[in-house]
Formats: sequence, C-alpha cells, structure tokens
Amino acid sequence: MSDQPLLERPVTRRAVLVGGSLAGFAAFLAACAPGATESPTSTSGTPSTGGPSTAPGTAAPPEVTGPLNFANWDAYIDLTEVGDGEYDLPSPTLDEFRAEYDVEVNYANAQIDGNDSFLATIQPQLQSGVDPGWDLMVLTDWMAAKVIAAGWAEEIDPSHIPTVLANVNDSLKGLPYDPDFKFHVPWQSGATGLGYNRESTGRDLTKLADLFDPAFAGKVTLLDDSRDTFPLIHLMLKAQGQTSSNEPEDMDVADVETVHAYLEPFVDSGHIRAFRGNAYLQDFGSGDTWVALAWSGDLASSGGENDVFVYPEEGANLWTDNMLIPKGARNKYTAELMMDWVYDVDRAARLANFIYYISPVKGVAEAILELDPELEGNELLFPPADVVARLHPQPNYDEATEAKVNELYADLAGV
Amino acid sequence: MTRRRLAPYLLIAPGFLWLALFFVLPNIQMLLMSLSTRAGGTGLRKEYEFTWAFQNYVDVLTGFPEQFGNSLIYGGLATLLCFLIGFPLAYGIAFRGGRYKNVLLFLVIAPFFTSFLIRTISWKILLGNDGPALVILRDTLGVVPDNFNILSTPLAVVSGLTYQFLPFMVLPLYVALEKVDFRLVEAARDLYAGPWRRGGAIVGGIGGLLFAGALFTGLGYIPATPEGIASAALPILGIGILGAVVFAVLVSEAFVRVIFPLSLSGIFAGSILTFIPAIGDYVNAELLGTTKTQMIGNVIQNRYLAQNDYPTAAALSFLLMAGILVAILVYARAIGTEELTGGRA
Repeated sequence: MSDQPLLERPVTRRAVLVGGSLAGFAAFLAACAPGATESPTSTSGTPSTGGPSTAPGTAAPPEVTGPLNFANWDAYIDLTEVGDGEYDLPSPTLDEFRAEYDVEVNYANAQIDGNDSFLATIQPQLQSGVDPGWDLMVLTDWMAAKVIAAGWAEEIDPSHIPTVLANVNDSLKGLPYDPDFKFHVPWQSGATGLGYNRESTGRDLTKLADLFDPAFAGKVTLLDDSRDTFPLIHLMLKAQGQTSSNEPEDMDVADVETVHAYLEPFVDSGHIRAFRGNAYLQDFGSGDTWVALAWSGDLASSGGENDVFVYPEEGANLWTDNMLIPKGARNKYTAELMMDWVYDVDRAARLANFIYYISPVKGVAEAILELDPELEGNELLFPPADVVARLHPQPNYDEATEAKVNELYADLAGV
Repeated sequence: MTRRRLAPYLLIAPGFLWLALFFVLPNIQMLLMSLSTRAGGTGLRKEYEFTWAFQNYVDVLTGFPEQFGNSLIYGGLATLLCFLIGFPLAYGIAFRGGRYKNVLLFLVIAPFFTSFLIRTISWKILLGNDGPALVILRDTLGVVPDNFNILSTPLAVVSGLTYQFLPFMVLPLYVALEKVDFRLVEAARDLYAGPWRRGGAIVGGIGGLLFAGALFTGLGYIPATPEGIASAALPILGIGILGAVVFAVLVSEAFVRVIFPLSLSGIFAGSILTFIPAIGDYVNAELLGTTKTQMIGNVIQNRYLAQNDYPTAAALSFLLMAGILVAILVYARAIGTEELTGGRA
C-alpha cells in the first residue's frame, strides 16, 4: 500500500474526483507535465475478448510506441470496482489496451477541466511545434474545429482506424470542420442541462428558471464554458419572452448582452456562487452546490444518489467531445490504435454503461441493453424523441460575437 | 593582481547569468508584450505586434478597480492577521521556547511539507458545507440560515491567505526576537519599567476598534458607511474592549520600550514577505472565493491562460510589480530600516 502513490490507492469514486481535481488544478497552474494518475504496474486486466482485431492490415505496421499520454475530462472513463461501491483506476478499457499492445497508458483523469484552460497549457508548444506532452486529447467540437483550423492536429491515417470508420454513427459524419475524420474522432456526445441535489433543494426541478429560485441563493453554479452558459440562459429568456427569438445556435451580440444583463444582478448578489468546469462535481459532493448547469452523464456516474440531471423544459445543448492527436505528439500510431480501440461495439457499450454519455458507436444500444437490461429507456444514454426535439447544437460564434461573449463572461466571472 | 581583481566578478557571474537569463530576459519580453496590440491572426492563432501601446496600461488601470481593490484589501488583512497571530507565536518560541525551540519552529514550517494546493483544498473542506465550521454554526448553534456560506466569501479567501503565509511572518519575527538581549529587559525593569496599564488599555482599545472595523468592512460583512459600521457596533466594541483588556494585562513597559523597537526589523521583513505573495496570489481566490472575490492574480491568470490576451496580462503584471516596488520603498522609508537585506543585524 505504502509504496503506491496517494492517488492510486483504492478510494471511493468521490475521492477519485477530488484527486482528479488536484491533477487538473496542477495542470492549470503549472502547464502540462503528463500527470500519470494510473499505475504502469497495474496490468492485471484481461486481454480483449470479442470484437474484431484492431491491429492494422498486412502492410508492415508502424511500431507501437509508448507510453500513450491521454488527457481527458473527469468522469469520462470506466473504472474498476475495488470494493463495495468503490471504484478506481485502472480502467478496464485502458488495461486491456495495454495488455493487447504491450504499451503503457498514462491516463490523466480530469486533466481537462475546460477547453480553453486546457488548450492554454499546450498552446505555446503547439505554436512552436514541439511535443506538447500529450498523444491524445479530448476537446469539444467548437474547440476541435479551431485546433484543426489552426493546423495543430496530426492527420490521422485512415488505415489505422478501420473500426472507427466502420462503426461511427452516421449523424456524426460529414461535419463541416472535418468531414472525413482526418483529424478528429468523436469520443462521446452529451448534453448541457440542469443538475441538482434533490435532498438539498427539497423538490424536483424541471426548468432552467429554477436556477434563480431565491431559496437556492449562494448554492448555484453555472459553467465556465461560455458556450454552455450563455446559450442555456438565452433559451430560458427566450421561453420567458425576455429576449429575441433567435435560436441559441444563432445568438448574436445583442442576445449575448441580454444574457449578461440578466445574470449580472444574480452574480452581484452572490446568488450565483461560481462559474465552474467539472469541479462542480466536488461541490455537489460537499453540498456546497445544490443546483447547477451540468453535463449530462457526470452526476449519474459520479454523483451521489440524490444528484439528478434533467433536460430542462426550455431546452438544452447538445455537443460532442472528440479525440484529437495534438501536433508534435510522440506516439501518434498508438493514439490512433486507441481511437480505434474504443470503437469496438462491446467496449463502447461497457464505457457508455459506466459514464452515461451518448456513445458515437453504431449499434451500441443493443450491446448496452445486453449488459444491463434495466437501462432501457435511460434518458441519458437514449434521449427520448421529445428531448431530442429540445436539443440545440452549441453556437458557432463569429469573431465579433465571440469577443463580446469572452468580454462579458470575464466581467461576470470577475476576471 | 589582475586575477585578484577578476575574482569577485567571476564569483558573481553564475548568479548574474541566472538573473539575466531567467529574470531580465523574460521581463524584457513581457515589457514588449505589454506594449503590443493585436495584429490579426484568426481563431486560436492570435498575433501581436509591438506598437508602443501605452494605452494598454491606461486600460488595465481603469478596467480592474474591483480586483485591484480586492488584492489590496485581502492581502492587507491577511498580513495584519498574520502579524496578530504570528507575533505572540514568535515571541513565545523565542522567549519561552526553551529546549523545544527547534521543535516548535519545525512545527511552524511543517505544513510546507504538503503541497500548496492540497493545503488550500483542505480549507475548502474545513469551510465547506459539511465542514466543521458550518456544521457548528448552522446545525449545532443554529445561528445562520441553511444556505449560509463561508466558502466562496471574502472570509474564506482571507483565511486561506493568512494560513498560507503565516510562516513567512513568523520566521522573520522569530529571528528578530531571538536576537533581543534579555538583559536589556532586565535593565528596563531595574529602571522601574512596570506593566503598561493605562497606555496598554488605550492602545489596545483603539487598535482593537480599528482592526475590527477594517476586518468587518474588508470582508464585506458591513458596508463601508457610518450606518453600516453603526449596525456592527456591538461586535466591534467587543473586540475593542478585548484588545484593551489584553494589552493592559499582558503588555509591559519593557516590551513597548525595548522588545518591540528591536523587533521592528522582523516586522518589516515579515510583513513584506507576507504581503507581496498575498496580493499576487490567485489560488486562494480561485479555490475558496467566488466571482466577486477575484484578485488581480486571477485576472492575470485568466488573461494569459484562458483568453490568450497577452498584452493585458503583461501590462497587469508590470503594474503589479511596479506597485509592489513603490509600496516597499514607501514602507522602508516609513520604518526606516535596511533590514530586509540583513543590514543592521
């Protein structure tokens, strides 16, 4: 026990989150040494069973190099049960990958707490074209698009990701920023909606307007990604007839200003406690937050039993997080193998079953239900039609609107 | 002969090179950046161009009054609290520590063996919703409402800062007090230095009132208006009376006339070592604070790392540095010591 680093000891999932947040903040403070939150010695996983072999074809494959440095968000990977209700790394998915290819994986849980803040830690390296320290990173579509446009993503060799190309959901194909998966491969999709602790609030919440119930003053957090917070508050104001009838994906400068004007008094009075990334999970755990804008799978996989996520009546955001190989990555081929690895239907089902996000893999629904028939009708994994009708893509701000959003967000956040 | 003349320069060279490489060069780079403006580039690839843009400085001076204010207030309060906690502690170790001195000093530094972040995050737990502070106030005593917070208030930020920088206050104070020759105190007693009854009561009382007023106002519990202060009159008066009693009972004339003046060098060094990192800190405000408690360090961090607005961040950094330098000069003049470098020792 004592020879294990602190973060690797068996802990509750909550404790994993706290540890993860430390790793995240360390990164956020001190650029980006790959935080090896997973032990290289724990290769106790079983070799992969089922699913097609993902090794590349007959042409002499490049060498598998390692360790694969994989930066990801919190609550975004399957874990091993180490005790009654306690979960911890290593992740079975990653462990089996390690066994199959005999390569180490440094999975940095909660390394990414926000698209902007993570990218800022590697931007100098990307700009000067040196190894950014990561081989695989997970970014939301709008940021993935920007990174690709800036030329900071390595081009993926299609012959190395046959499973991806065969299994990826049709709805994710042909996106304007990278139609043929040359630079990105979807990781998971999810929604931004309303999270709350039923015990603290004392009632069930259904709409975004509940965020502003005076009874919750000081116990409310919004998301620090301005592409989450602004469109959702816009949706709420739209439903109340307090702003223009623009769809949230088409917000303009005036809409952004309306949202800012609405939020300002709540920030000034302290009703809104903070703007958070994944860190809201710890605040739910400690009871410091009762109601928050949240990402759909997080509370189900990593929250307490009273923590609930709902798709608000006014509508919600739908987004996809994508795997990218940053320019200059040292282990590009291994990263491609990992992209392919998680597209195996059975593995994807196990992952979705654990993290409660929407898998990008075709035919995964049947596999999930085979694993756990009770998940039939789970709204997080299979959003019903009436919810889908209320889901909006995240806005793709033009440069002027983006500058305005950043300025007004900084004003609200006090920076 | 030449060799002897060269020797000092050779000895200085490594330190000088180090400074040139890691202090002067980056600072020049930052100075240039602080005078630059956006020169195109789209999306993530922003480009900046050096244009003598002094307007940047005007913008940041007028743009962040709240955050500058927070930095000064929280940094100042934390320094004051560190002094109030640290002085008795250092005094006790220096004069009453006996053979446990080293152990006690070690205990002062012991928290530093834990990472800064972990220490800050443990304050989140202490002050958080399920933490001991709120559990006692809210659940046991029931004096605050259900959704009352300590975390995410200025009190939490100042608590964190005080805790983080306390050793920086205690150690210089200890060094100064350690050096006081106790025979001087005995001599003072021989010359009829007794308890400091009346003076102590007056100084302690006024000091207590001022301290309580500053604390309550600075932490935002009462507005900085006469009515606000009047509404908090009772607790402020209480602290004033407490200060008067403590000073009248505990402080002697020998302390006022001998020990305190001799410890000024330590007070100077300690308050500077506490104040400078405290006003530049952003971790405590980030983790323990809220949107209204952001300090200037948070703005710099956000501009550099989230918004990629390098000129603003650089200009702010320079202003902060200049402000601190000026403050130190004024302070050094006021206290009139060159002890920061160990001058009079």
